This record gives sequence, C-alpha cells and structure tokens, in this order.
Amino acid sequence: MKVPAILKRRSFLIGLVLVGAVAVTAGLADVLAPFDPVKNNFRYRLGEPNDIYLLGTDRFGRDVLSRILYGARVSLRIGILVVLFSGLIGGLVGLVAGWWPRVDAWLMRVMDGLMAFPGILLAIALAVTLGPSEMTAVIALTVAYSPRTARVMRGAVLVARAQDYVEAARAVGAKTSRILRRHIIPATMAPLMVQQTYIFAVAILAEAVLSFVGVGPPPPRPTLGAIIADGRDTMIEAPWIALSPGVVIAMLVLGLNLLGDGLRDALDPRMKNTVR
Amino acid sequence: MPVLLVVSLFSFGLTLMVPGDIAAEMAGQSSTREEVEEIRTRLGLNQPPLERMAHYYAGLARGDLGHSILLNQSVGSAILERLPVTLSLAGIALAVAGLIGVPLGLLAAAKAHRWQDQTAMGVSLIGLSLPDFWLGLLMIWTLGVKLQWLPTGGFIAFGDDPVGWLRSIAMPAAALALTQMGPLARMTRSAALEVANSDFIRTARAKGLAEPRVFARHVLAAAAVPILTVAGISFGITLGGALVIEQVFSLPGVGRLVIGAVLRRDWPVIQGGLLLTAFVFVAVNLIVDLLYLWVDPRLRELR
Repeated sequence: MKVPAILKRRSFLIGLVLVGAVAVTAGLADVLAPFDPVKNNFRYRLGEPNDIYLLGTDRFGRDVLSRILYGARVSLRIGILVVLFSGLIGGLVGLVAGWWPRVDAWLMRVMDGLMAFPGILLAIALAVTLGPSEMTAVIALTVAYSPRTARVMRGAVLVARAQDYVEAARAVGAKTSRILRRHIIPATMAPLMVQQTYIFAVAILAEAVLSFVGVGPPPPRPTLGAIIADGRDTMIEAPWIALSPGVVIAMLVLGLNLLGDGLRDALDPRMKNTVR
Repeated sequence: MPVLLVVSLFSFGLTLMVPGDIAAEMAGQSSTREEVEEIRTRLGLNQPPLERMAHYYAGLARGDLGHSILLNQSVGSAILERLPVTLSLAGIALAVAGLIGVPLGLLAAAKAHRWQDQTAMGVSLIGLSLPDFWLGLLMIWTLGVKLQWLPTGGFIAFGDDPVGWLRSIAMPAAALALTQMGPLARMTRSAALEVANSDFIRTARAKGLAEPRVFARHVLAAAAVPILTVAGISFGITLGGALVIEQVFSLPGVGRLVIGAVLRRDWPVIQGGLLLTAFVFVAVNLIVDLLYLWVDPRLRELR
C-alpha cells in the first residue's frame, strides 16, 4: 500500500484530520490546558464560557476545557490499548480457529457466547466485577470486543488458506509455522487493520458509557464520559459541561470511522464500488 | 444451545472473579458480623464453588434466577416486570431506524456516487458516531428544556395514557434510532449495489419498470438477507443502548435495574440481567434466522 495513494481519499483525509486534531491537543494537554483539571475553585462555580474559561467551569469550579483535554487523553489511551489487546487476543483466536478446523467449532462457540451479550452490558458487568480503574476498563472492553476481531480474523484466514500459493507452499514442503508466518498472517493484515480501526471507535464510545454509568476510571481523574455524567445534574443551569465533551467524542469516533472506511476502500479494491 | 451454556457459565463465573468479600460489600460498612454472615448464608457463598454452580444450574432449570436481598424480590420477577419497557424502547428504536435507514440506503444505492448518496452516507456515518446517551442529553436540553415540546424524563404506561406514553418514549427512541440508522443504511446500500447489476434487475428494467419500483421491489428483495443480518446485530446494540439511555431519561426498565444493581453490587440481579438480555438476543437472532426463509425463497429449498 502506497502512502500517497491513500491520502488522496477524501474520507481517509478528513478522518486523519479529525483524529489528528483530537490526538495532538490531547497529547499536548500538559502544555495546552490552561488550568489544572482536578483543582477546585469554589469562587467560580458553574461559570459560563468566557475569555478565561473557554468552555466554562463545572460545579467544583474546575475548568471544563482542561478536563476535556485530559479526559480525551484517557479515552485515547484506553482505546489504543483495547485495539492492541483485542487485536492480539482476537487475532490469535481467529488464526487458530481458521487454521485448525478441529478447534474451530469450540472456539467460535465461546466467541458466539460472548457476543450474545450486548457488548456494553458485558463490559459494565466486567468493570464492576474487577473494580473500577483504567486497566479494568481496558480488560472489560477487550473481552467484550475481541470476539468481533476473532471473527474477522477467522474469515480472513479461511480465505487465505484456500489460495493457490498456500497450496504451493505446502507442496514444496514448507512447515506450518512458515506458511502461517509468510503467507497467512500477511494476507490477514488488511482486514485486521480495518477491523481494529472500527474497534478503536467502538472502544471510545464504550469507554464513555462506562464512565458515564460510573464504573470507569474513578474520579477525580477526568474522562469524557465522567464529565458528561458530572454535567448531567446541572444541565439546566450549565449545559456546556455535559454537552461539550460529547462533541469531542463524536469528532474522535467520526474520524476513526472515516479512517476505517478509507482504509477498507484502499486495501480492498473489490469493495470500492460497493461500500463507501 | 452451546451459546446459552457459555452465556450462563460466564454469568455464574462473574461472582467467582470478584476480588474481596461480596457479602461484606453488600451488607455495607455499618453492618455487624452476624448480618454479613446471614447474607453469606443466604447467597450460599460459604459453599464451595462447584456446589454453588450446581445450585445455580438447578435454579436455572426451574426458571429461578435467584433472589435479590437488596430489592427483597426474586430476580426473575424483578427483571420480567421491567422488560416490557426496555423491549418496547429497543423495538421502536430499531423499527424507526429501519424505516428511515433502509430507504436511505436504497436511495444512496440508486444515486450511487452522486450528491444524494454522499449526503445520505454522511448523515448515516455522523449518526453512528454519536454517543447515544449524549444525544439523549442533547435532546433533553433542546426539545425538553429550551423548547419544552417533550417531557425530560419519566415514564407513562401505555395502558394509562397512550399519547403520554408516546411522548415519554419519543426522545430516547429517537436518540437510539439515530445512532442505529447508520449501520442499516450502510448495509442496505452495499447489499443493494451488489445486486444492482444482476441479470434479473436488468430484466426488471427492460420490461419497463420505473427506477423507484425496481429498487423498492426487486433490489430490496434480493438484498433483504444481509439487511436482516445487520438488523439482528443492531438489535443487540440497541438493547445495550436502551439499557444505558434508560438512565438518562429515568425510564423504569431493565437498564435502570441492572445499572442500579451494578452500583449497589447486587450480584444476583447483575447475573440475571446479563443472562436474560443474552437470552433475548439469542431468541431475536433465532427469529431472524426464520425470517431469512420468509424473505428469501431460495433458502427454503436448501433445507
């Protein structure tokens, strides 16, 4: 895949700009945040957005903009870890299931079982079981969403193993490990990357729900969902608290979905004319 | 069936994974040792795990999901009592999502790569990127607080006042529908484009059918199976979304029950909620499988 080619795709480019904008500002939170995100200032509670507090203050007088910047950072960190772990675990399960038919039925039944729960409910139940923390959120979301990755990976392995070049490699006496490493796994990377980009988007949304419900990383550390939950009680007097973090989540998720669409179109030319 | 086995094993296993003392946590900080012991006995926590598992499955076989000490009610009846609210919310949301999403997808396919297509797909993508609970809050603030068109929360039973019921469920259903419309529209479009070049579509055009009718009838019929598949998956997601959005709109459904149980660490309710929602999801997908046969005569012959 040539890099310049993909950058010509409008959806990919818009996605890159959206995700990049959030990622850079969140990454530079230490420099950009005008205030300490957890420092109370009781003299200026529920302050309206103005020149100093661009997005206003919450009921403890904390600067909403600073909290959003740090919150986005937590969301991104959790999202990236979920992408990595679900990619590793789901990828491995899918590889094993796709390559060895004998364990396929067993593994996929377990995955189907996990997928029978609404993902978000499974994640909430796991998060409360393991006790709220950032790592818990990562584990809960990984368990909830790895089965999707496993399914995509299994499908990709099944397609790859039916290819003539795999047959040829076997005919010339290549070992299984070599076939997997040289022929199967590289062929699955494209669908896996697309899938993980979507998982990133789903993980950001789900983490916000975990925090909103109250089983995310514990306060006072800000997360985007927790800021919304915080602002919910004061929606009428101070709507900016609950509404502005949602815009950031939406930007991030929309950007990731666009990146996923762009990647999919670029990596799978067959789909170009069917799905945008 | 194997799916239900995994589902029930997982729901049961949840309590084995809890670090710390479940009974002490449920009893609260100001409880005496006797109270903690009593809860422990009533939950059967002083038995070995295998015995607890046997007890759990024996209960399931009788349709008994356990007893919630905190609600002083059996888990089964607590959930069943609230299930209609959640199911009607998810059902209405998905129906609205389908009624908007499928025609939108067909329109996009019919006008592929033109402005109608790009607008429809843009709207779908934005919709599915919005957090539904936040969308709910946004609606409360605009439609409820600013414009005062709709109540900001609470629930009125259909039997008491159908109009009030519709008003109380309109915003949460709309928020869910807007986020679920996207996947349906996207799948409809791609499935429609896949069949749009088939011979029988060309035949339909050749015999002089107008373009809208070709799409509404022939393309839709051929694309129905993948659309149904996505609808089945969407149902699970909508159900999960409904559980959360009930919190936002103070609807007395399973979500309020289960998430309340999560915050109070009421394990039997959490387990029962997981089990029953998974059960509903499996049942819905069974219905979807049967619907395949109804929408696609070709599959009937395959059996």
